[in-house]
Amino acid sequence: MSDLLDVQNLSVRFGVRRKGGFFAKPTYLTAVDDISFTVRKGETLAIVGESGSGKTTAALAIARLVSGLTSGKILLEGRDLLPLDREDLKDMRQKVQVIFQDPYSSLNPRKRAEDIVREPLDSLTDKSISEKREIVDGLFKAVGLHPEQKRLFPHQFSGGQRQRIGIARALSTQPEVIICDEPVSALDVAVQAQILNLLRRLQTEFGLTYVFISHDLGVVQHMCDSVAVMYMGKIVEHADRLSLFNNPLHPYTAALLSAVPSVDPMLREQSRRILIPGDPPDPLDLPKGCRFASRCPVAEARCRDVAPRLKLAGSNHRAACHLVEDETSPLAGIRS
Amino acid sequence: MMTDQTIDPPVAKARSPLSEAWEMFRHNHSAMVGLGLLVLIVLAAIFGPLLYPTDPFDMVWAPFSPPGEEGFLLGTDYLGRDLLSQILYGARVTLIIGLSAAIVTVVIGVTVGALAGFYGGIVEEALMRFTEFFQVLPTLLFSMVIVALFGASLPMITFAIGIVSWTAVARITRSEFQRVRELEYVMASRASGASNSKLMFEVILPNALPPIIVQSALMVGSAILFEAGLSFLGLTDPNVVSWGQIIGSNRQYILESSFTVTIPGLAIFITVLAISLVGDGLNDALNPKLRKR
Repeated sequence: MSDLLDVQNLSVRFGVRRKGGFFAKPTYLTAVDDISFTVRKGETLAIVGESGSGKTTAALAIARLVSGLTSGKILLEGRDLLPLDREDLKDMRQKVQVIFQDPYSSLNPRKRAEDIVREPLDSLTDKSISEKREIVDGLFKAVGLHPEQKRLFPHQFSGGQRQRIGIARALSTQPEVIICDEPVSALDVAVQAQILNLLRRLQTEFGLTYVFISHDLGVVQHMCDSVAVMYMGKIVEHADRLSLFNNPLHPYTAALLSAVPSVDPMLREQSRRILIPGDPPDPLDLPKGCRFASRCPVAEARCRDVAPRLKLAGSNHRAACHLVEDETSPLAGIRS
Repeated sequence: MMTDQTIDPPVAKARSPLSEAWEMFRHNHSAMVGLGLLVLIVLAAIFGPLLYPTDPFDMVWAPFSPPGEEGFLLGTDYLGRDLLSQILYGARVTLIIGLSAAIVTVVIGVTVGALAGFYGGIVEEALMRFTEFFQVLPTLLFSMVIVALFGASLPMITFAIGIVSWTAVARITRSEFQRVRELEYVMASRASGASNSKLMFEVILPNALPPIIVQSALMVGSAILFEAGLSFLGLTDPNVVSWGQIIGSNRQYILESSFTVTIPGLAIFITVLAISLVGDGLNDALNPKLRKR
């Protein structure tokens, strides 16, 4: 299948003013640094990483929702979304919708559920009132809510129900791409599974393409077709799901995967935790070499001097590490 | 269509945040007392002069007749004018000035605060410096200058009070906008295609409103006090009666017949107290973080 979404060299910078107040020279924080990826129609790309890795910024940039300076290209069906002006933006927003992280803050507390779900239709389309009502009723059913509940206010719903409202809102304009910004991380584990199943069912039903942001690799494993791992604004590894989970090449990915808890005692025996000591570098003062070098257990001198580029290390498997050779992780020696 | 799980049976009644706030307010005794007083005062201001049609400027009896004598319930002032009638007519003027000055305050304050809080950056810097300029002006002096320069008409007095007291509303609005602006539902509305003006006035403002409502309610009270202060100093429209003006004109005789000053003073006191009680009740009812206290 063809690439629906093609992100090329996307960077997002924010101006920050440090000490010195009004007259201080602004410096720039590069939250997302020159990343590229593609997503095929009907598939799910997961972007994983720790807090501050830039994964949410990257995803929200695709939906044109960040205030920073954005450069690069975001092609949706071949059309660049970044230079769009107001009218074209309306068209684009119909095609790209977002499911937000926290269902407790993503629904306007002063609006009724039906008004929240209908808002994209009101602002972006010129459908008639009866058409919109029909769509909203259908969406309530599709996400597993009773249409009778549509007059209620957000605080009268549970967390899982609220996230269903958020999903119904994202679906209302029949989008091509849905950005899921950690859609289950604020929910109970039992509810997480329900919402993930709902998202998967809706994906096959409506042929949706997801960009799925998460820090929970268990969730990612359940949801995605391919995975991009971000660290300090860079993609450090990008591969198909199986290939990434079975054979993580970048030391950071390997460390992340080794931290996923397992219920299987056999598996627990086999795997040893790879600990990554220390803190990430100051995002305002990034090292010139590999950004992970300061915490990497196998870093060498060249890692600190030369920043590695994302290079092909297997079929559909890319990693940004000097030490990766032919689908072999530099950690292979010390892991088992 | 298939669902993943069964969901609670539909809840029968939709309860808006506003109806819940009223529920809170209703159970707050002091707020309800304040509201009751306020309703009485407003009714007196509207219907009093109709039921008691004595002209407040007519000299009806000898000066300084104590309350209750000769059928004058509240007595007469230094010119022999009926105090009860003055209080009733004065209530209209006082309340109208209080209310309209509060409206001026809210219109200026919310506009400035909303723009500053929404756009941030240079817009905010400029608007907040502008606000601080008004904040450091001595309020009474500045309003006296305005009234003295442009004449002591009711609209000018209202404007003078409004122009010196909008800064508090602007600062509250700005901070609320800054808080609400960061919430995800604002970004969700943006993703749904809402324009900036829609975000400001239809999404953020309703959610930023509670502390602004409380502040504006208290603003009515302080505007009444401010007007009383100006009238006391003689900066008032001589063609209408207000409570402050009654105090101001009788102040020379405060030692001989104190009731001419005490009675309008009490009227101001009770009104401002009622407004403060209502404002406090609104604060408790509208601010969910304080509810648990």
